[in-house]
Amino acid sequence: MTNQMTHQSELERHYECVSFYNREAELLDEKELEHWLELLTEDIRYDMPLRVTRDRGSDRSEFSEEGFNYREDRSTLEARVERFQSEFAWSEDPPTRTRHFVTNVRVADVDGDELSVKNNLLLFMAQGEEADGTTVSAERHDVLRRVDGELKLAERDIRLDHTVLPMKNISVFF
Amino acid sequence: MATEEDSCPHGDVDRSAAMTDDVTTSSRVERILDTHREALQDGQLPMTVYNDEEIFETELHRIFGQCWMFIGHETEVPEPGDYAKRYIGKDPFIFIRGEDGQIRVLFDSCTHHGSQLCKAEQGNSSHFRCPYHGWTFKNTGDLAGIPLRDQAFEGLDPDEWGLHEAPRVENYKGLVFASIADEGPSLEEYLGDFKWYLDVHLDIAKGGMEVIGEPHRWRADSDWKSGSDNFSADSYHTGVAHRSVFEVGFGDEDISGTAGQETQRHVTHADSGSTSLRLLDPEEEIFFGYPEEYITDENLSDEQYEVAAACGAATGTIFPNLSFIHLAATNDPDKPLDGFFSLRQWQPVAPGEMEAWSWVLVPAEASEEYKQRAYDVALGTFSPSGNFEQDDFAVWDGIAEAAGTVFADKQDVQMNYQMGMPGIGKAEIDEDWDGPGTAWDDNLEEGTCRTFHGNWQKAMNGEEVGMRYPRDHI
Repeated sequence: MTNQMTHQSELERHYECVSFYNREAELLDEKELEHWLELLTEDIRYDMPLRVTRDRGSDRSEFSEEGFNYREDRSTLEARVERFQSEFAWSEDPPTRTRHFVTNVRVADVDGDELSVKNNLLLFMAQGEEADGTTVSAERHDVLRRVDGELKLAERDIRLDHTVLPMKNISVFF
Repeated sequence: MATEEDSCPHGDVDRSAAMTDDVTTSSRVERILDTHREALQDGQLPMTVYNDEEIFETELHRIFGQCWMFIGHETEVPEPGDYAKRYIGKDPFIFIRGEDGQIRVLFDSCTHHGSQLCKAEQGNSSHFRCPYHGWTFKNTGDLAGIPLRDQAFEGLDPDEWGLHEAPRVENYKGLVFASIADEGPSLEEYLGDFKWYLDVHLDIAKGGMEVIGEPHRWRADSDWKSGSDNFSADSYHTGVAHRSVFEVGFGDEDISGTAGQETQRHVTHADSGSTSLRLLDPEEEIFFGYPEEYITDENLSDEQYEVAAACGAATGTIFPNLSFIHLAATNDPDKPLDGFFSLRQWQPVAPGEMEAWSWVLVPAEASEEYKQRAYDVALGTFSPSGNFEQDDFAVWDGIAEAAGTVFADKQDVQMNYQMGMPGIGKAEIDEDWDGPGTAWDDNLEEGTCRTFHGNWQKAMNGEEVGMRYPRDHI
């Protein structure tokens, strides 16, 4: 019985995380950025470290501790969203068509109200008449926190599979 | 102010002798270069040069194969064995500090059969071993090991087969440059009058500037010249291209927005470079947004110090592809403006395609808290996700697309670079300016961009780089 409960609870957790990511991806892909912000905790930490090719034998992580493409908090994310809504934000004119494919969702740890969740992201982007589009691959290390009964994103570490970015700018969220 | 032709250190150089013409150009390239020369005299620029296979190949040889190229900052390789992978044009090199403490720029290719030695972008190593046959080189470039040497290479003198290296490497205040041409002016001669302006940025902080983190690297369907041209500087674009950042509050419009205010200056014809100085009321002492405790007047002249004190934003380009921005801005409209310095390099990848590299620098003696704050400001303004920089890259690819058209070639389409030329606009030379080069009393002028394109023209014709007014009056 206990095993079954644990099992059920794991299934529920997994389902809840996948539902969260599906909802989040939909908001991002639909450009509902104000609503996306509502999925983030007040103390959100949103990072994308630079990735650097190291020697195969190196004991240093490929993910930089000093260099970042994003190192955001709620206030800087809100400011970015506000800018994207300006008619003079040329990087999003026309808006980038994105599709967030989130897979391999793994709840790595449960600590009180917080879940540490790893997942894979394949982000497809196309702008204007661009035929090929650009695909960026990453793993996300997230912390999802239960706030008033709902999961919210408290931490995100976007771990790119690229060292040289294959795009002219980062004008979308991952 | 050095405006006399006599004061030019290279004025008497025999230009044909200075020329290293190691690439033959087609009659079509010669025609484009002729058109470029005539057009620039009239403040126009043939669009084709921004995306053309033959022009690109000629650039690789005559510009990137000849000029002093930025390799990196010495604080990126502080310890013996520290290295970083770098490129001169498209050629791979290892920027490395050897066990003897000396910085070298080694060609990333085994001297035996040519394989690549360096796989990592940055690291520390005493040796590099070739994965093909196992020749091993010290971090000084010396050949240290040959498998089966006694049988296979008895009689070979290893001293003759160390790694190839850039023949000329020089360090200017922490900035390491290399040239793959055997002959040419020294780095200081090459930088020329622009050193005065570079010093303002490198010497204003106590202890100088240091690099934080690894450089950003990202690809764009823009020509490398778009970055150089924009930072050289184009002050006119900020009010339109960057309008959204002022609406939200990432920057102050008086500091980095509206052009044409009477205290702002453009400096053109400063040999290797040109710059925009967004000067404010000198009483305000803004120093690019740095707290005053990080500032020193010890290494600057009074005139240089006054420029730094009044300057809230500066951009510039050293020919061909090293640019910088020194800016007071913020990544968060709820936080005050703070300063950072960024070096950026626009690397050629293919015609109309570049890889941007960007380094964030901060005052070396600043608190750790300030350094992190400055990094955040740089990240939020000038980086791949920078709220300013996103919009620059969003407009540059359109230039490369148009430049690559049959129409631009057939119709010889010219772009307009006439702002500030006689009869166009109101900019006048500021005769009271204390620094070298030619200062203009209004940044609504494009002599800065014309200085870059003038140097391009010189280099592409095999002449020495170095723009002087009035000799190179464009």
